[in-house]
Amino acid sequence: MADQSEPNVIAVTMKAVNKWYDDFHVLKDIDFQVADGEKVVVCGPSGSGKSTLIRCICKLEDHQKGTINVLGTELNDNVANIDEIRREVGMVFQQFNLFPHMTVLENCTLALTLVRKKSRKEAEAIAMQFLEKVRIPEQSTKYPGELSGGQQQRVAIARSLCMNPKILLFDEPTSALDPEMISEVLDVMVALAEEGMTMVCVTHEMGFARRVADRVIFMDAGEIVEQNTPFEFFENPTNERTKLFLSQILQH
Amino acid sequence: MTEASIALPPQTPFSQRIKKSLFATPLDCLLTLICAFFFTYIIYLFVDWAFLSSIWRADDEPLCKEAGGACWSVIDARHRIIFFGLFPFEEHWRSTLACAVMIVTFIASCVPWFWTTMKLSALWIAGFATFYILMHGGLFGLSVITPERWGGLALTLFIFAAVSIIGMPLSIVLALGRRSKLPVIAKMFGLFIDFFRSLPLLTILFTAAVITPFVLPGWLQGDKLYRVIVGFAIFFAAYQAENIRAGLQAIPSGQDEAGLTLGLNYMQRVTRIQLPQAFRNSLPAVVNQFVITFKETSIVTIVGFFEILASGSAAFGTGQWTVHYIEVYVFIGAIYFVFVFSLSRYGAYLERKLRVGHG
Repeated sequence: MADQSEPNVIAVTMKAVNKWYDDFHVLKDIDFQVADGEKVVVCGPSGSGKSTLIRCICKLEDHQKGTINVLGTELNDNVANIDEIRREVGMVFQQFNLFPHMTVLENCTLALTLVRKKSRKEAEAIAMQFLEKVRIPEQSTKYPGELSGGQQQRVAIARSLCMNPKILLFDEPTSALDPEMISEVLDVMVALAEEGMTMVCVTHEMGFARRVADRVIFMDAGEIVEQNTPFEFFENPTNERTKLFLSQILQH
Repeated sequence: MTEASIALPPQTPFSQRIKKSLFATPLDCLLTLICAFFFTYIIYLFVDWAFLSSIWRADDEPLCKEAGGACWSVIDARHRIIFFGLFPFEEHWRSTLACAVMIVTFIASCVPWFWTTMKLSALWIAGFATFYILMHGGLFGLSVITPERWGGLALTLFIFAAVSIIGMPLSIVLALGRRSKLPVIAKMFGLFIDFFRSLPLLTILFTAAVITPFVLPGWLQGDKLYRVIVGFAIFFAAYQAENIRAGLQAIPSGQDEAGLTLGLNYMQRVTRIQLPQAFRNSLPAVVNQFVITFKETSIVTIVGFFEILASGSAAFGTGQWTVHYIEVYVFIGAIYFVFVFSLSRYGAYLERKLRVGHG
């Protein structure tokens, strides 16, 4: 629990959010808040609804009940609201989802020119700045297919950063990577966290959670079962399901 | 470090590879020799017929009976009918120029420099306008020649180009419509596509040429040629839409989601993310449809147009030329081959080019 003296500005608020895939009740009465600048790690077993939770925040999934408010804008069927929120929220995917027919640089400049209406020159300058930040500027003329998984994911992070998002969502960003490439992506994420980016990460990288998270959330069967500071979460889990999950992923 | 020290896979010399694949056993030797003899003989027969024992000049036609080879005199004498059909003789230069303009437009639109919507549109509008003014006349002191007198190669190229230009954008709209998230729209487009795919081309052309004049008001009818082209284009689009849809289906859903989270709107996602990838995925099928369409233009003969094949039949239809139909068909076949083979090669070039970055 964020325990700070000043009341935080709220970035994301979910109230009694419910979602179904056909008959499958994937999110059950989710109440969830993210403060501005807060880093939240969401974990839980496969199928627990954690990806769906963050996909709802940028309207990649619709919720059927409850309210979601992002940066003061209500996320409903109003297209203007959805556009507004998507411009301020970035998302990094498990499968990177880079555009294979464009170079690394074009991947980064596409939305800058089309959505932010920057000139090509401005867009390229911004893109190069963020490619340098993820330490990959020398690959800017290559195509995604020519890069390793770790490099692709760093490009994907740079692509999101180009849009200058206020909130960055990560959907298992290292789960599709070979083990030796995980740390290069986590290093970039740690650096972002240290700069004060508001982040919601679905991940099983518990080392990362301990190091940067303000709060860890454990989900199971569509519910938030437990949430706490990383120290308390890992050292004194209270719920049986949390204990079981932690024993399963930490036993190695 | 010299280049030779870089490890390369062992190279088998050409002569050894030949030996291994063609002359490994006595039976292989025998089969190789029989096939080699057979093919050489066939090629010799053709070369002899077409070049060595053939007659070339129109005036030499009486020699054809003794010569035993091809009588190309028929082409020399009648090539204007093949190329121009019923187009007035003294205006043939206009048709020639129109064909040249169309071919230049085809070639130019294959050059990557033209691959922006603006440039391609400008190119094709200019190409079509020049073609139309040259063929139809009525401007710059050119006499008017109405489409029912167009014919030959110019007509074939015009029908193919017009069908492609109308059909291609239509096919994209149909493919996207069929994938709409709104079930009513998706069903409607699906029904439209399946309806036109389940009709034979001939029926559609007949309907366009003969029946629509009874149904449509006068101002909407246009010339018979244009109605036939529109019908043909809808038929083409119905098939091409399914090819493009296959290409769209193959794109992982994450691509569109990435576009969404970057704030791109529907049109931006379609034009920048979906269609470029869909075309790459469906290129062999898309080119195939163009090839089929080029050859199917010959079907417009049925509704009374003298495209190149029908003009060819007219070329050997009179007098002493009636016996030389083989030469005429070989000649027309060669013309089709030049266009269709170029189209296939261009498709192969595109596939190589678009494979960039995909391993």
